[in-house]
Amino acid sequence: MKLLALLALAAFVAACAPVAPYQRAYLARDDMALDGNPGFMKAIEKTYSAKEAASGGGGVGGGGCGCN
Amino acid sequence: MRRFLAALAIIVCVPAAAVEAGAPAPALSMTPLEGGAPVTIAGLKGSVVYVDFWASWCPPCTRSMPVLDELYKRNKPRGFVVVGINKDASLADAHKLLARIPVTFVLVQDGSDAAAKAFDVKGMPSGYLVDRKGVVRYVHRGFNAEHAAALEKEIDSLLKEPS
Repeated sequence: MKLLALLALAAFVAACAPVAPYQRAYLARDDMALDGNPGFMKAIEKTYSAKEAASGGGGVGGGGCGCN
Repeated sequence: MRRFLAALAIIVCVPAAAVEAGAPAPALSMTPLEGGAPVTIAGLKGSVVYVDFWASWCPPCTRSMPVLDELYKRNKPRGFVVVGINKDASLADAHKLLARIPVTFVLVQDGSDAAAKAFDVKGMPSGYLVDRKGVVRYVHRGFNAEHAAALEKEIDSLLKEPS
């Protein structure tokens, strides 16, 4: 029984495949952004980073377009 | 039980080994963007080759294209070759970018991800400078002015090495 549970767990873990940096063509599209208005969010982020001296603080490298 | 768990962990977690400086360039056969005879890295032995993974959706890649083309044109007579491996989901996107930023170096497609997997590409763009003997000597991940300056020096030093 334990073995079955482990196998099921392994199968689920294996199903969570990461998206490789070179496979992010669709994720890099503007309409794939989490926010519905990417242009407005870009402006907000720019203002935020200028005011807080926190350039890059709004996200992480490789999060969407895989461009470092 | 522990052994079983360890084996399971290995199966789940084994990552592909990324190609780094000092490793031989993977043996690959790639189809040109426009079709035709396949391009092999082994077939380019004797030349200094820059293998560049690029895509139209990657802004640093688009910035690197004119720089690479310039380096290619300048060093081609000395035995320098650039192979641009496209990673667009649709070749039409690649052609759209190439209409805007035309390049003269060799462009190939990698629809099956075979090349990207063989190099275990960790970021876009990724460039691998291969010496005349087929050994990867320098790896560039990302692209900016510093990469461009370093690449120019590296190409020059490798071209001076005997084949």
